[in-house]
Amino acid sequence: MFDEVLNIISVNLWSIIASLLNLLIIFLIIFFVLYKPVKKMLKERQKTIEDSYERASEAEAEANASKEAYEKKLEDAKDEADDIIKSAVVTAKAREKEIIDSAKEESEQIVNQAKENAQLEMKKAQATIKGEIVDVSTKLTKKLLEREINEKDHADLIDSFIDEIGEE
Amino acid sequence: MNKNNKKSVGFILLDIFYITMAILPLGVGILLKLISTPPSDGGVTISGARVFWHIDISSSNFLDIFITEAQINSVLVIITILFVCLFLTHGLKQKIWLKRQHLAEIIIEKVDSMVADNMGEPFKAFPPFIIAIMALSAFSSLITLLGLFPPTSDINIVGGWAILVFIIITYYKMKCGLGYYIGGFMKPVFILAPINAIGEFATPVSMAFRHYGNVMSGAVISVLVSYFLGQFSTLLFGDGAISVFQVGLPAILSLYFDIFSGCLQAFIFAMLTMLNISTAFDADEYERRKKKKLEKKPKR
Repeated sequence: MFDEVLNIISVNLWSIIASLLNLLIIFLIIFFVLYKPVKKMLKERQKTIEDSYERASEAEAEANASKEAYEKKLEDAKDEADDIIKSAVVTAKAREKEIIDSAKEESEQIVNQAKENAQLEMKKAQATIKGEIVDVSTKLTKKLLEREINEKDHADLIDSFIDEIGEE
Repeated sequence: MNKNNKKSVGFILLDIFYITMAILPLGVGILLKLISTPPSDGGVTISGARVFWHIDISSSNFLDIFITEAQINSVLVIITILFVCLFLTHGLKQKIWLKRQHLAEIIIEKVDSMVADNMGEPFKAFPPFIIAIMALSAFSSLITLLGLFPPTSDINIVGGWAILVFIIITYYKMKCGLGYYIGGFMKPVFILAPINAIGEFATPVSMAFRHYGNVMSGAVISVLVSYFLGQFSTLLFGDGAISVFQVGLPAILSLYFDIFSGCLQAFIFAMLTMLNISTAFDADEYERRKKKKLEKKPKR
């Protein structure tokens, strides 16, 4: 059936063209089926890796920024605390002075009051003592003289006498 | 393996389909070979491809249309390569989860770096072509392992590839202008033009014959050694005895001529293609001309 066999070297135009086309077909197959998808995948992978690197550096920068902000905040807080303490000390001192001043004032008032009271008391006592002295001297003179005198004249007399004494 | 990496049933079925379709053509080739080969008469016959269909157009064999074993096997190899490629790129993902993806990536990265080393920047688009040459040549030669006729031992097949390479070479030489191309033949003296022209045509011829000769000679030596060993055992043990000497040695020869030489020739053919194309292109001259053109343009 298939008895015909080519010579070991037999050049044939159509065979050459056919094999040339075969190579082109294989090229197309390799390009579209193997090369292109793998290249595309490799490119995508490259992109993914670069993206993740970028994201990592971004995240690092963000973390650094937030760390800085945090530290700054911490410092601010410390400063604020110092301020608060300082102002508290100032207020406390002011308040202390105020309290002391008011205490002094009050004490002076109290002392003055006491002095006034004492004077008042003294005047009262003087008045009382004067009356008693009048009474006593009246009784005494009554007894001494054993005679009825006008009580009123007598009191006037002693009063004027005591006044004279007081004025001296 | 975690849950994401589990193959679905459809995936496995498609895999099986691809593998079957890659093996099927080779089976068809073997079947065809069994049907078409007439019983041998025991002698040594070294011949070209078997002809399946011969259309007479003219008196010369050059213009007749032959459908030969070599062409059928070429087509079968193409189908096999197509499905091997489909199999390799099936389930391609950024995160590798199939072993075959390593192979696909290795092939492409190796050839990419090879092209970058040997050809340079202007030939970035060449890796697929180089892979195509390598794959076609290697598969065509390795097909002998199945007892099929290797298309590479037909001068027409390899000649076709070489002519395609020659066309590409000439295209790159003409990129700097036709005058520059023809002037290239006159270097260093214009008397050498015929020799330069011969040298130009020698490139594809030498490429074709190198590949063809290597594969063919391997086949011839294998047949000769095998025949000689058969005769030797007949001489010692008489006619009809089992030829014990045919066991072993032909296998080692096949290891060299079929596997090693087949792959090596594919590599050499691809290498020569790269070198010839890259040396054909005068990049500096091309850049100079491009700059000139750009300078001229604004005046218009």
